[in-house]
Amino acid sequence: MSDFAQTLITAIAIGSLYALIALGYTMVYGILKFINFAHSDIVVLGAWGSYSLSVRILPALGYGLKEVPPVWVALMILLLAMIFCGAIGFTIERLAYRPLRRAPRLNVLITAIGVSLLLQNVGQLSFVFGASPQDMPPLLSDRALATFSFGEGESARQLVIGMVDVVIFATATSLMLIMQYLVFHTKLGVAMRAVSFNTDTAALMGIPVDRVVSFTFVLGSMLAAAAGFLIVMKYPSISQPAHTIWVLLGLKAFVAAVIGGIGNVRGAVLGGFVIAFVEQFGAFYVSSNYRDVYVFTLLILILLVKPSGLLGSTLREKV
Amino acid sequence: MTRGTSSVGTGVVAASAKSEAAEVAVKGNGWTGLIPIAIGILIALVLHFALPAPQRSYNTQILQIIGIVIVLAVSLNIVNGMTGQFSIGHAGFMAVGGYTAASITYYGSMLLWGSTTKHGGFLGSGDWLFLGSCLAGGLVAAIAGYVVGLPSLRLRGDYLAIVTLGFGEIIRVVLQQTGPLIEDVEALRSVGLKQLVPPPLGGSLGFSGIPKYTNLFWVYSILTITLVVAYRLKSSSAGRSMISVREDEIAAQAMGVNIARQKVTAFVVAAFFAGVAGGLFAHSTGTVSPKDAGFQQSFDYVIMTVLGGRGSISGVTLAAIFLTVLPELLRDFEQYRLIVYALLLIIMMLVRPQGLLGIHEVWEMFNRRRRKAETSGSDVSPAEVGP
Amino acid sequence: MKSSTEGLTAKSGVIAGGAASGSDALLDVREIGISFGGLKAVQKFSLRLPRAGLYGLIGPNGAGKTTVFNLLTGVYQPDSGEIQLGAQRLGQGKPHEITAAGIARTFQNIRLFPSLSVLDNVRLAGQLHNRHGLLSTVIRSRGYRREEEQLRQRSLELLQIFELQDRADELACNLSYGHQRKLEIIRALATNPKVLLLDEPAAGLNPQEKLALAESIRQIRDRFQVAVLLIEHDMPLVMKICERITVLEYGITISEGTPADVQNDPRVIAAYLGAGLEDA
Repeated sequence: MSDFAQTLITAIAIGSLYALIALGYTMVYGILKFINFAHSDIVVLGAWGSYSLSVRILPALGYGLKEVPPVWVALMILLLAMIFCGAIGFTIERLAYRPLRRAPRLNVLITAIGVSLLLQNVGQLSFVFGASPQDMPPLLSDRALATFSFGEGESARQLVIGMVDVVIFATATSLMLIMQYLVFHTKLGVAMRAVSFNTDTAALMGIPVDRVVSFTFVLGSMLAAAAGFLIVMKYPSISQPAHTIWVLLGLKAFVAAVIGGIGNVRGAVLGGFVIAFVEQFGAFYVSSNYRDVYVFTLLILILLVKPSGLLGSTLREKV
Repeated sequence: MTRGTSSVGTGVVAASAKSEAAEVAVKGNGWTGLIPIAIGILIALVLHFALPAPQRSYNTQILQIIGIVIVLAVSLNIVNGMTGQFSIGHAGFMAVGGYTAASITYYGSMLLWGSTTKHGGFLGSGDWLFLGSCLAGGLVAAIAGYVVGLPSLRLRGDYLAIVTLGFGEIIRVVLQQTGPLIEDVEALRSVGLKQLVPPPLGGSLGFSGIPKYTNLFWVYSILTITLVVAYRLKSSSAGRSMISVREDEIAAQAMGVNIARQKVTAFVVAAFFAGVAGGLFAHSTGTVSPKDAGFQQSFDYVIMTVLGGRGSISGVTLAAIFLTVLPELLRDFEQYRLIVYALLLIIMMLVRPQGLLGIHEVWEMFNRRRRKAETSGSDVSPAEVGP
Repeated sequence: MKSSTEGLTAKSGVIAGGAASGSDALLDVREIGISFGGLKAVQKFSLRLPRAGLYGLIGPNGAGKTTVFNLLTGVYQPDSGEIQLGAQRLGQGKPHEITAAGIARTFQNIRLFPSLSVLDNVRLAGQLHNRHGLLSTVIRSRGYRREEEQLRQRSLELLQIFELQDRADELACNLSYGHQRKLEIIRALATNPKVLLLDEPAAGLNPQEKLALAESIRQIRDRFQVAVLLIEHDMPLVMKICERITVLEYGITISEGTPADVQNDPRVIAAYLGAGLEDA
């Protein structure tokens, strides 16, 4: 029982992370109709950026690298990381994607792969982040918010609800709620949705398409940064930027977006949790070695059965 | 629904019936098709005996690697360039082929001759075991290609890319979970079925100790066959079909092309050659490991097809040579290699997305006639439909 | 001219049958329909096209004409109704199967294969009846080479008929607009069809070219013995060459008959010019 609950808690926390990243994929896909392969690398930048900032800011403010600083420091680092990644997202869109707005989708996809590789490998250069893993200084206290004990003696188990998991869930959810409000209840959101339906018509209606697209990218990158920050809260040992673990993370979040219905904001959130549940419960109850395989198998199944995703709608191509 | 020539409502065929009824003169006999392959094999023989062995010469090693890489790039080109699909999991097929070939040679050697060292001389029994195992590797990879090709029927570019990427990663993970190699001959002979799950392929350490049968003769013979097959595919009815799938699926279907079959065929053929190349690689370095199936490996071949020209066999060949030799020359700048590739990719897409040669071969670039755009203004005279 | 179909027009939006009687019809379309989401794009469309018939399909923009073509060629699967070609039920066939069965089409926006040469475009269309497989192709067997040579000659002959043989090696994308339109038609003919569907073949042509086209279509029908169904907006062209015309509006057949019938049908006039002009 407690194992189940513990897995559940982890799944919820990780699900909210996947959802956050999936939102970025889905928003960009909705607007530009292509998979921004480089999105997961923004997550990496968020993670490493948080590390770099912490390592510099904490000592500057007089805190050691082993003690937990007050909350506002963590918030500040989060914000700075988001701004940093937002700027990078803006630059990428301007330089690499905007010129290809009218090109075949395959070309943009290849460009995105190029950008992804560029970010990974530039990030690994010694004067940037380096090619060896580092440990993130703790910005949140590790304490358990609640502990439940089950059973006696040999089968005694503890269910721990950690601070970190709760913070992750809370932060991610807040950001998603802000997104929800933005996309569905503001004029800007209407503009974004208009552009995602038909770019040309939106332009004819007076919507500044270029600016809306840039803004969407910046938003998505900021969400990615937040996800990166939260990830290193939970898993402090950070692998180098080109490590497969990041590629897999991005891939799984992308799968989440597809499963929910790519282009569909609510679908991305749903997909994030579905993937996390499949992954965590599969790893726990079946075998953790094949963790990644479950996710991809699920992807293939969905693509074969309902390619438009759980919440997506099928569109016929007009001939 | 049966395919067939129409017997009712004569249509076009009757109008030009005379060419079909008459015996069309075709030069040569059934064997002329093999001439280019024979020439290639001859050249491979010469290379093999004229140049020092790979173990002793760095340059020969490079030559060997170049040959194998060209096979991989040209085979990927069949899917990505000619058929216009976007597969970024090619390394997965290579790994599948490599592991299959390695298992057959390694364990086969142990069972046949009691050890895993090279057996027999040039074209001796060891060599034939090696060839067989490479072909088997190709076949298993082809089956994998079929499995991966099926989802491609319903998926557009971006999705297919992700699925092929996922395939490569799945293969990598699965290979990592395999068991340790059986290195003792007696243990092998008395192996029970239980010990074969998980299969003894070396796990995350990889499959090592493979006898190094690969030499210039084999590489360049197989390369010749690959190039001939690729070129013949391209300049044939099958090639036209594949290119039509790439250009416009809806129009292709309207012209009678079974696009599903073309796509899967492309995957299967490409995977076959990748699998054989995997076998060649495994027996060249003596090792094959799970990370060889990963995306990082696939990416190398993708960039060759993008750079060389999507659909151009000679273009991709040149790109393959260039991108294999260059890193060797610039060993000192290894950490910048991927950065340069990445920038190259981005710039190519911005400036010349069809690749350097596009769909044309090197020798076609000199054909001015193709490039002259017809003067604008439409045809005024009525189409004369003759008697 | 009063015709018996007028009474039917008044009663319902469905017109059944045309000049061809049931057993004569080469292409027998019975009440096919399709909806996209809530939108009923085509409803109960019927048509009987006889061998070597030259029929027209007209209607205001958005009436569903191209959708009918897409239904006939398998691009869309009809929600209801049946399609029969000769003795064959075409039902839910895939586009390439329907082309093999004998229905060929051209596209409203030209869909040539830009990277292929003119000759290759035609050869591609002609090769669907070839029988040689992958292995023969790769080893270049005699049988394969013979088939290829026959295909090549057939294709060149077709190009010659339309005076495009000089451009055989040009890339299709380098042709002038008028030539591209011609190639579209040649390509469709190369598939050896029994029925030829032409989707706005006159679009973008000047009056002289349209005259030439009209003549070509007649001659194509005569020489190749194909039945032709034509979508067009150019009324003089349609009225001149079509034997019978079907008029669509919002997916519903509002009139069917000879050009004279249709020209005088008040419903047709209303559809094109708007209601309230019956007395005009």
